[in-house]
Amino acid sequence: MADSIALPRLRPISPQLHLFRLLPGIALLAAIGYAGKLLEQNLSRYAKAHHAVIPNIEYVLWAIVIGLAISNTVKIPGAFLPGIATYEFWLKAGIVLLGARFVLGDVVKLGSISLVLVALELGLAIALMTWLGRLFKLRPKLSSLLAIGSSICGVSAIIAAKGAIDADDEDSSFAIAAILALGAIALFTFPLIGHWLGMSDHAYGMWAGLAVDNTAEATAAGALYSDAAGKIAVLAKTTRNAMIGFVVLGYALHWASSGQAKTISNKASFLWQKFPKFVLGFLLISLLATAHLFNKEQLTSLANLSRWAFLLTFAGVGLRTNFREMTKQGLRPFIVGALGEVAIASLTLVLVLGANRVFHL
Amino acid sequence: MSEGNEKKSSAIRARFRISLDTWAVAIALAAALLVRAGVLKHIPW
Repeated sequence: MADSIALPRLRPISPQLHLFRLLPGIALLAAIGYAGKLLEQNLSRYAKAHHAVIPNIEYVLWAIVIGLAISNTVKIPGAFLPGIATYEFWLKAGIVLLGARFVLGDVVKLGSISLVLVALELGLAIALMTWLGRLFKLRPKLSSLLAIGSSICGVSAIIAAKGAIDADDEDSSFAIAAILALGAIALFTFPLIGHWLGMSDHAYGMWAGLAVDNTAEATAAGALYSDAAGKIAVLAKTTRNAMIGFVVLGYALHWASSGQAKTISNKASFLWQKFPKFVLGFLLISLLATAHLFNKEQLTSLANLSRWAFLLTFAGVGLRTNFREMTKQGLRPFIVGALGEVAIASLTLVLVLGANRVFHL
Repeated sequence: MSEGNEKKSSAIRARFRISLDTWAVAIALAAALLVRAGVLKHIPW
C-alpha cells in the first residue's frame, strides 16, 4: 500500500539488477533538475537585463515545483518509476560528499549542539505524538509509527520500524502519507517563517534539520533558505538520523514485551543494521577534508558534485508527492500528524532560538 | 535445485546484499577518490 502514496523504494542492488531499468527515471530527474537550474539562471539574467524586479527563485524550488506539476497532472509511466526511486540514493551520496564542506571541528561543535537539541526534540515529539494518538483514538501501532516518523526521519524511520514492531501495511501507509504531506507543506512554510523572523542561516538550518521529518524535505527546506542554511540543515538532520536505531529498538522492545512483536536477541546487531551508514561516510569525508587531503579546487569540485546529487533529489521530492493519493489515506492520522508537527515545529523553534542566544549559532 | 537449497541460497544472497546506504557511501567515496587522483579535474556548477 505504501507504493500507492510513495514511489517504490529502491531495492538493495543485486547483481541481477539491470542498470538500464533505472536510466529513464534518472534521466527524468536530471532533466527536471537541470530545467530548474536553467530557469533560475535565465530569470535572473532577464531581470538584470530588463531592470525588472523578479524575486530570485532558487533552482531547488523550481525542481520541486516542476516535479509536483508532473506528478499531480499526468500519470508517470511505469518505465520511469525505478529510476525516480533512486532520488534517495542521490540524497545519501550528496550528504556524504557534503562532508567535504565541513571541518571536523565544526561537525563536533555543531553536532554536539544538535545532539542536545535532538535529544530534547525526540523526547518531546514522542510524548506529544503518543498523547495525540490516544486523544484521537488512533490504533496504538499507528500512533507509534507517527511518533517514530515525526521524531526521527520520516519515511525511512517508519519503514525501519514497521518490521520491528510488526505493524500493519495499512498503518504504515497512513503514517507515511501523513509525514509526506506535512513534509510538502513544511517545504513552503518554513522558509517564509524563517524570513519573517529574520533568522540567521545557521539558526534556520538547525531548525529545519530538527523539525522537518524527511531527510530530502529537510535538505530542500534548508537549501530554499540559503546555501549555508542547507548545509546546517543536513548536519542537524544527520544527527537526528543517527538516532534511528535507538528509537526503533526502544519501540521494538516495548511491543515485544507485550507479545505483539518479535523479540530481539542481538541488540548490537539490530542497532548496526538500522544505523544509517551514510552518516559514517559524511564523517569520513569531513575527516579527510580536515586532514587537507583535498586542495581548494578539489573541495569545490566535491561540493559541486554534492549539489548535482541534490539536484536529482529535489526533482524526486516533487515527483513522488501526489496530493490526490495522500488525501485518500484518511483524515484522522493527518490531523494528529499536523497538530503534532505544528507543536514540534514551534517547540524546536523555541529551542533553536534559545541555543542561538547561548551558543551564537 | 531443490526448494530447500533455493531458499538457503536466497537467504545467503539476502545476507550479503549491499544496502542502498552502503552503495551511496561507496559511490561517493569513489567519486572523492577520483577527484583526489585528478581523474575528475573540475566539476562545474
